[in-house]
Amino acid sequence: MSKVTEKFVDINSMNLKKGELVKEVEELCGENLFGCYQCGTCSAGCPYVEDMDLSPDEVIRYVILDRKEVLNSKTIWLCSACFTCAERCPRDINITKIMEALRQIILRKNIDKTKLTKITKEEKETIPQLAFVCLFRKNVG
Amino acid sequence: MKLLYYPGCTLKTSAKNLEKSAFAIMDALGHEIAEMEDWNCCGVVSSLTDDDLMHHLATLRNLIHVEDQGEEKIVTLCDMCCNTLKQTNLRMKEKPDDLETLNLFMDRENDYKGTVKVLHFLEFLRDEVGFSVLKKMVKNPLKGMKIMPYYGCMLLRPREVAIDDAEEPTIMKDLLKALGADVIDNPFKIECCGSYHTIEEKNLVSNRANKITNFAIERGADAIMLSCPLCRFNLDVRGKEAEKMYNNYKQIPVYYYSQLIAVALGLDPKCCGFEDHAVDPVLLLKKKGVFEK
Amino acid sequence: MPLKSYDKKIDHDLGIPLQDDYFYDEPEEIIENKTMPELESTVKLVTERAKMGKKRTIQADVLIIGAGISGMQAALDVADKGYKVVIIDKTSTIGGAMVKLDKTFPTNDCSICTAAPKMVELSRHPNIELITYADVNSLEGKPGDFKVNIWRKSKYVDPDKCTGCDDCAEVCPVEIVNPFDEKLSTRKAIYIEFPQAVPIVYTIDYENCIGCGSCDRVCEPEAITFLEKSEEIEVSVGAVIVATGFEVFEPVEMRKEYGYGKYDNVITALQFERLLSSFGPTEGKVRRPSDAKLPKSIGWIQCVGSRSEQLGFPYCSRVCCMYATKEASIAKEANPEIDITIYYMDIRAYGKDFQQYYDHAKELGVKYVRGRPSSVYENPDKSITIKYKDTLTGKIEENTVDMLVLSTAIMPNKDNKRVGKALGIEVDDNGFFKQDSLLTDPIQSTKKGIFLAGCIQGPKDIPDSVSMASGAAAKAVAPIKNRKKHIGKNFPPERDVSHEKPRIGVFICHCGKNIANYLDVEKVTEETKKLPNVEFCDHMMFVCSEDSCKKIKETSKEKGLNRVIVAACSPRTHGGLFQDTLMEAGLNKYLFEMANIRNHCSWVHSDNWDAATKKAIDLVRSSVAKARHLQALSEEEFSIYPKTLIIGGGVSGMKAAIALADMGIKSIILEKEPELGGRLKNLHSMFPSDTKTEDIINPLIKKINKNKKITVMAGSELDELEGYIGNYKGKVKQKDKKKEIEFGTIIVATGFKEIDLKGKYQYGKNTNILTQTELETKLKNNDLKEPKNVIFINCAGAMDEERPYCCRVGCGVSIKNAKLISQKYPKSKVYLLYRDMRVFGKEEEEYYADVLKNYHVITIRYPSDKKPEVILDKKNPKNGSIQIKVYDDILNEEMTLPADLVVLTANTEGGAGTEKLKNMLKVPVDSAGFFIETHAKIKPLDFSTSGVYMCGAAHYPKNLVDSIAQAEGAASRAAIPIAQERMKGEGIVSEVIEDKCRGCGTCVEACAYSAIDLIPYSKDTAKMVASVNRALCKGCGSCAAACLNSAIEQKGYDSKQINVMIAALLDEEAGK
Repeated sequence: MSKVTEKFVDINSMNLKKGELVKEVEELCGENLFGCYQCGTCSAGCPYVEDMDLSPDEVIRYVILDRKEVLNSKTIWLCSACFTCAERCPRDINITKIMEALRQIILRKNIDKTKLTKITKEEKETIPQLAFVCLFRKNVG
Repeated sequence: MKLLYYPGCTLKTSAKNLEKSAFAIMDALGHEIAEMEDWNCCGVVSSLTDDDLMHHLATLRNLIHVEDQGEEKIVTLCDMCCNTLKQTNLRMKEKPDDLETLNLFMDRENDYKGTVKVLHFLEFLRDEVGFSVLKKMVKNPLKGMKIMPYYGCMLLRPREVAIDDAEEPTIMKDLLKALGADVIDNPFKIECCGSYHTIEEKNLVSNRANKITNFAIERGADAIMLSCPLCRFNLDVRGKEAEKMYNNYKQIPVYYYSQLIAVALGLDPKCCGFEDHAVDPVLLLKKKGVFEK
Repeated sequence: MPLKSYDKKIDHDLGIPLQDDYFYDEPEEIIENKTMPELESTVKLVTERAKMGKKRTIQADVLIIGAGISGMQAALDVADKGYKVVIIDKTSTIGGAMVKLDKTFPTNDCSICTAAPKMVELSRHPNIELITYADVNSLEGKPGDFKVNIWRKSKYVDPDKCTGCDDCAEVCPVEIVNPFDEKLSTRKAIYIEFPQAVPIVYTIDYENCIGCGSCDRVCEPEAITFLEKSEEIEVSVGAVIVATGFEVFEPVEMRKEYGYGKYDNVITALQFERLLSSFGPTEGKVRRPSDAKLPKSIGWIQCVGSRSEQLGFPYCSRVCCMYATKEASIAKEANPEIDITIYYMDIRAYGKDFQQYYDHAKELGVKYVRGRPSSVYENPDKSITIKYKDTLTGKIEENTVDMLVLSTAIMPNKDNKRVGKALGIEVDDNGFFKQDSLLTDPIQSTKKGIFLAGCIQGPKDIPDSVSMASGAAAKAVAPIKNRKKHIGKNFPPERDVSHEKPRIGVFICHCGKNIANYLDVEKVTEETKKLPNVEFCDHMMFVCSEDSCKKIKETSKEKGLNRVIVAACSPRTHGGLFQDTLMEAGLNKYLFEMANIRNHCSWVHSDNWDAATKKAIDLVRSSVAKARHLQALSEEEFSIYPKTLIIGGGVSGMKAAIALADMGIKSIILEKEPELGGRLKNLHSMFPSDTKTEDIINPLIKKINKNKKITVMAGSELDELEGYIGNYKGKVKQKDKKKEIEFGTIIVATGFKEIDLKGKYQYGKNTNILTQTELETKLKNNDLKEPKNVIFINCAGAMDEERPYCCRVGCGVSIKNAKLISQKYPKSKVYLLYRDMRVFGKEEEEYYADVLKNYHVITIRYPSDKKPEVILDKKNPKNGSIQIKVYDDILNEEMTLPADLVVLTANTEGGAGTEKLKNMLKVPVDSAGFFIETHAKIKPLDFSTSGVYMCGAAHYPKNLVDSIAQAEGAASRAAIPIAQERMKGEGIVSEVIEDKCRGCGTCVEACAYSAIDLIPYSKDTAKMVASVNRALCKGCGSCAAACLNSAIEQKGYDSKQINVMIAALLDEEAGK
């Protein structure tokens, strides 16, 4: 029974260049996911883990086990690339880059996570610009 | 000393007060600070995939223009810009092949030679001015103000571009001490504020603001000091919104470090732009007797 | 505090009149003014003498650098063989890290109680010269002829005069952080490391001493001297052993997220040991550093700084899982209401009885959470909140504890690089000394003639350190084996006192303040003088001091004493010293008795002066009563046949034989298979360096065949055995013939075997379900067809109800074989199903990480109560497809995986033939068939029966490195009786009164040393009577106590003597 319930991406039609999810991710970010020994440090330090469906260490496990539903998890979009996990990982795995790689797999198929068509006047005027640029950079292909 | 300055988009819009106060400080110090010519958006987040060079273009262009203006140093006030510029700078140094590709691609620009050093304003104040110099110039010490320094992510992570130790930074603590304030330590000072989720996941950010602030309040803090415009918005504006979500929760005022320095140095408070904040920062200053006006 | 009288105004060191500048300012003034006036007179003389400076030279055989448990064991092993040892330590005492511990796992023995006797033995050994507060500077020469330069720092205290009374430390005004207590307390500038320090000489820490002279003013024996200066010593030896030990990582630069150094209540595990220790800063009570209150909850975080490829060290520190379990269980047992949790990634409970110890800790209520915390923070009440993910439930949690203990990494001593440079030996990337070859010669450093022992080569626990230290001793003897040996001490001839009336001398000890402050020693002396037969009685400050012993000898001669009683501490402490003193006075050492008026009296009745005094008087009277009946006893001497029998010709057996041959000792290897090599013959390669087994066994076999000192009897088994240490006769069955052999000592190296899996995991029902050994044999013979999906199932038949123990090597073997299969068949998918990943040895953690990353092995952790299920194809069970159902404990879901090759890591048990062998050798074996050593911590290679030793997997499964260290260690142990050539038995042996003996055999059962046999009665051969073998009897008295007919008497403790003691104790008149 999978923990991922969202259906944002149709994983069955997902065509991966390298065949396996883990190989695709490794190529994009250069991190060797198999080094992970599931210690849980990354998940414990993640600021958003309580709102995630899969914790970061579970994401890594899903990728290793080639479970493509990880691409539908809320986790990869909740990640704000704060680098806390990467700094503390005892295996020196940069989990931030792994999250980015997973996002990129989807974004590069021209699937956008954010379709921000309307911004209220108040938002335009008060929210710092950099938030918008950041959002688009992260969620739009 | 003349310093070349990279503003970035936000400093010209929602964080005008940060820029103004910083300029006022430079004026008081007797240094010149000038905005660089022909700058563009830094790109905000550094590209995290190995094959992605496109997203370095915008950042690199800024560095090239610094060199064009004959400068070796560029200072920025925005944490995000600082981090992005530093990361690209580092990447260009570590992977000369990538630099060559980008240089070739930007055929209308000069080649980047890798000579620029990117500084955050806090670094500049610590290393090139010295907090002891600031201390001597303090006219209104922030006595009685219990302030929690908040670093966020971009100043300290990843370690290669950090301006201080990633787990136990002291730069803000040293600055606050020099200004005469009491420092409240808080384990959440290095945790993420919520970043861009403030647009689509407002409640998540309010939750974060509440968590971070609550800890500070439990330890006796009256206010928070930070440096990033997005952190300011998330803790200040979204924090005020959190007052509706949580019982008995009152968001405490959030200050930029430059505003506090300006106040401590006795500069014209207009430069601080306190009216742009959601939680009134002036009230606390008046209450503590720091602020006469 | 007695003060010296300075009327005479003479400097006691120099014998010259004192100048007025002798009397310094008060200490407070000196500290205030920060001045230290120069003492002109003394300084001038000292400088003059320094200019005359001659370097002291010492001629010896082996130099040992470092006097922790490893250094001490190596020193004793070498010295017992008759060679001269110089042992140095850079601190002011010996003992190393072991004395800092409270208890040791898994026996929960008191650490100092097990280490102190070795310390005392070392300090009194005639062949060992102990130089403390010294460090090595340089080395030159070649094996057999080294010249080592040592710098000995002065303690500024005369070792011959210091009595260890502590008066000086009381007046010293300087307080500094105490490194012995891991910075939890302070000590003075003049100090002793810990109360049981050897040598018991106070040390002045020159760097912190302010030169006020207060200590000098109060020292009664006038032991403080500035003439005792630092010196350079040149030691000429043939071999060097390095045993400089380890340090504990302090996370102040790296891993700051755990708050060490920032939050008061975060401490390291070694600091927690100091808290538990009875002579630590809290006298054994667990107290929070912030408020000195008992904590209501304690947490342990494992792997802080270990297993970290960033911000730490990549290796596993090997001992932390066990020491955390130990500390937690001790704390929990003492205070059951404390909530204790250990946060871990794997619990490496790999050793003998470790898994059972871990299971017991869980039963005591210690909680184990699998999750490495991300960070901790302090709350306003100074408690610590830990944020972690419980990876087995999947929940992110926070837990607040009153105190947090960090199990930090074992680091090499900071001084290693310098010592390595001084000696010319290499250090590896992590700072530990490099061995010549990890899998074939782990004790040899990168320079011939210099050997490694203990944690200096890599983290390890006490039994592994002690085994390796013995191995180093064996190797160190090789280059010096032809040198002259000195066995035993020479004493003047014994006086025959059998016809004399008892003339008893009683010496009553103050033991400083330990006895004299709690009972009236004067009164005890007065009362004792009144007893009949007491010719002399006096009290002194420390009877164990050198001048007191001199007094005993002088008085014995003067007064013609023929019995000596010392009323002081326990015989375990100084009994041997006093017996030697008697022998030096020409008296038989068994004419000596001790009355324990300290441990049994002043220490436990410290609040009742009168009662303690009366009890002391009673105790001494009781000893006097016995002393009247003491007889001189003889120690029988046995010759030792100079040959060792090694049962088992695997790597352990072969390495032991070679080590013995290098020491010049002959051996016979008995191997039941037609060839030497043991288990390795069927294996492919060994982890962690992937060396092929042929490359390990063949060079050894070649060496053995060429060596004339080693006789190989292949295809042979020991059929009959008779005799005892030094005098064994055996019958060996070779095919149909029987051959007789003679030997002096025995080494058991019979190895282990995989258990019969008996259908577990459908083993035996399908041709594609193999054990690890079967897999390796197939790989070696290229007999495996390409598999698509390989699944390894670890811990088959291990850590369950039937066999609650861990097989120690299974994890390493499975990783290695996973790598082998992936290398051979890159397209195969490999899964590894495990319970805990116990790769603890040197380079094993790094090997494991490497295999996972480069060969993409997927590891799945399964819980102990939901074992994997092997499902065969109903239509074709023998050759068909296989499905494995496994519960992934981390994802909390069940998975079904297809497999066309299933490899089971079977548990192990003792080798075949153990039953017969154990009866022949009269040694014990545990339920798994592994031999039981006499002491789990400090005598792992010895049996209780003298003359028999063990090594390798026969003791407990172990990897190649540990087996070789043990094999060389066993060779050293087996060589000691042979090197001594003759052996003395005990004097206080038991003797059977044949006429009274019924031949019931109760005493045979009671004897732990297999020293009693039933033999035909000399007067009636049809009847059996008991007979005590004096060579094996240790004089424990169990047989005498067990005998229903009182037919056994123990010499020195016979019925008459005991009865007289009891009567005198209870009735004053009876004592006269």
